[in-house]
Amino acid sequence: MKKWPRIIIIAGVVGLALAFALGQLLPNLRTKTSGIEVDITDAQLIKKGEYIARTADCIACHTVLGGEDFAGGLPMLTPLGAIYSTNITPDKETGIGNYSFDDFNNATKHGVRKDKSALYPAMPYPSYQIMPDEDVAAMYAYFMSGVKAVKQANKTSELPPVLNWRWPLAYWQAIFAPERTFVPETDDPVLTRGQYLVEGPGHCGSCHTERGIGFQEVALSNADSEQYLSGAVIDGWRAKSLRGEHHGLGTWSTAELVDFFKTGRTDITAAFGAMAEVVEDSTQYMTEEDLYAMSAYLKTLSPTPGEPVTIVAKEDVTTQKLLDGVYDSRGSILYAEYCQICHRADGKGVPRIFPALEGNSAVYSRDADSVLQITLSGGRMPDTPHDRMAFTMPEFINLSDADIAEVVNYIRNSWTNSASKIDIDDVVQMRHFLSKKPKTATDVAPDLSITAAVQGANRE
Amino acid sequence: MNKSLFNLASVASSTSRRMTLTVLATAVYALALSGCDSPKPVERNATKYELVTTDDANEDIGTYVLPQDTSILNEPNAEQIFYGKRLLNETKRLLPEHVGAAMNCNSCHISQGKIPLGDPYINSYNFYPRVMPRSGKEVDLEGRINGCFMRSMNGKPLPRESEEMQAMVAYMKWLSQSTPKNQKVAISNAGEVDTSLVADTARGEQIYYAQCATCHGDNGEGMKDSRGDIVFPPLWGDESFNIGAGMARTYKAAAFVKYNMPMGIQTKGLWGHGNVLTDQDAVDVSEFFAHKPRPDFPGKVNDWPTGNKPKDARY
Repeated sequence: MKKWPRIIIIAGVVGLALAFALGQLLPNLRTKTSGIEVDITDAQLIKKGEYIARTADCIACHTVLGGEDFAGGLPMLTPLGAIYSTNITPDKETGIGNYSFDDFNNATKHGVRKDKSALYPAMPYPSYQIMPDEDVAAMYAYFMSGVKAVKQANKTSELPPVLNWRWPLAYWQAIFAPERTFVPETDDPVLTRGQYLVEGPGHCGSCHTERGIGFQEVALSNADSEQYLSGAVIDGWRAKSLRGEHHGLGTWSTAELVDFFKTGRTDITAAFGAMAEVVEDSTQYMTEEDLYAMSAYLKTLSPTPGEPVTIVAKEDVTTQKLLDGVYDSRGSILYAEYCQICHRADGKGVPRIFPALEGNSAVYSRDADSVLQITLSGGRMPDTPHDRMAFTMPEFINLSDADIAEVVNYIRNSWTNSASKIDIDDVVQMRHFLSKKPKTATDVAPDLSITAAVQGANRE
Repeated sequence: MNKSLFNLASVASSTSRRMTLTVLATAVYALALSGCDSPKPVERNATKYELVTTDDANEDIGTYVLPQDTSILNEPNAEQIFYGKRLLNETKRLLPEHVGAAMNCNSCHISQGKIPLGDPYINSYNFYPRVMPRSGKEVDLEGRINGCFMRSMNGKPLPRESEEMQAMVAYMKWLSQSTPKNQKVAISNAGEVDTSLVADTARGEQIYYAQCATCHGDNGEGMKDSRGDIVFPPLWGDESFNIGAGMARTYKAAAFVKYNMPMGIQTKGLWGHGNVLTDQDAVDVSEFFAHKPRPDFPGKVNDWPTGNKPKDARY
């Protein structure tokens, strides 16, 4: 009677030991020795690396609001507790100052750190994997010589015991992040460049592709499946579909996309939340050619299967009612009090100042997370030299959850918009989520002190 | 032997069943507990201000709760109040005969007159009639509203008994939330700026182009929406307020600008507005735009009949 449990326990322990041992070995299979000698004093190379680091948006995750560049410490909230981004400054004690180029390359592209343990997939190495070694070498030169060393110890994760073991991640890597190389979809050099930027350093899929059961992106390229870049919800934001359907980029032109990446705005919309960070930290620094290449490539993506390419616009009866003071719903009274002054009776906002709500695919997307989050917590447009000012949406945190639901349903279903209804529980959940979410740069107001203003004036 | 074994087994099984039940009960209890912990919908966190008597500002006698427009529906004259609110918001579109400038009442009265330091209407209903220094005589609420029509909106007065005038008064009465006549809500209508500061117009111009012109235009022309309705009022020129308006006076304008402009640059406050300029910044930029060309005010000859004309008066 008592033998079986003992056998099971022994088998379990032995199995775990074997799994552990194999888990120790697996990362070694991923690492590479490149034989590349990087001259980290080469000014040209450092400059090239700085640009590549911009395209890869390293700073977004490896810097906290008010913290030193690349010193890490940004929490990524998982249901089981937070994990923190690391210090990637060249500090020898707490950063990556002791990394050789191969160490750096293996971490960036293969998710294996210097001590041969696996990195959490919060680091987008499945995307970075297709970057050529020469580009990573340039980034290495930049991080070693162009970034200020900051002594700041990494924070330990808040994951509970057992779940904080790193060796099982080696299996995750083996299953979900297998070796892959860049396969251009076309012979067109511009589209190929765009595809590379989107799929590789830009790691757009990290937010815009749905994640599967193992938290892996369900597709890492358009060739994998049409679920690639078909939209997902992350960090309380709906990262919209970037494919060709109406709710995706169907209504966007290539020129609008370039404008959006460069300035964070178009005449009808503005980047907000996580995308505002992307524009502010990454895309605004990219060359016109690279922005065009990305935009042109995105416009080649087919519609997500089952999603309509065009939608017959609903007749707008909202504008006239608001102009006539016909408030036939609680949502309309709330809109008139809190929103109309900026977003206007016709919901078209003011170009480049207040985004439109009418006809804005971020507003009527199937998932209302983005609208809910920005209504409750506000946010700021990216601050770039292309516009004199970066405007904010104030937080409406003092409204009741019931009224937030009313007004969000109102804007999602007014003018020509139509979308699913949310209920009060969605608001409750979002408010609860936001109470724990760390603030990022575009959550706070721009610096309009006089020094900043003088800089603003000089931009012209 | 068999029997005792059977008994043992039955004891064991009943023990395990009890265990199972205990575990189940614990699980249900834990679930219920976590259910209690799950967040509940929150009610509106209404802004509250203290009520004081008009004689003694230190005597705390109650609380004023800033109402949300949805509560207008509870009023017997809801339709009139909503009309008044719309007139204050969209004065130019709804009363083109009476508004000469491209201005609405609420171009200056921030967030429908609900914001302290942003020219609120909160105390307006109780404050008037009152003897005002500018006119040197008693002015009632209708008279005060018409003052704005003739100066800030460079237009013509409304008949005192007109439906429109009475609707605007009804909105302000509703906003007072039945505060007794001898009491006031402890808020200020305008903030302080140091009036001893001397304006530097060149610096003001620089600030204007960096922080105001995006909305008010490089030529002070303001901005209209896709329908041609005013979003941002013109700050100078024929369509702006005339020299009789408070906003044409440097220090009055500075007190407004400092606490209310620009809008849409904070994540706090209903308009995400204000509080980025220093006193000097506000005085500099206000001097710059206030002294630009603007319409004259024919009634200026009657102002400040008893003297005490402020130093920033334009005539």
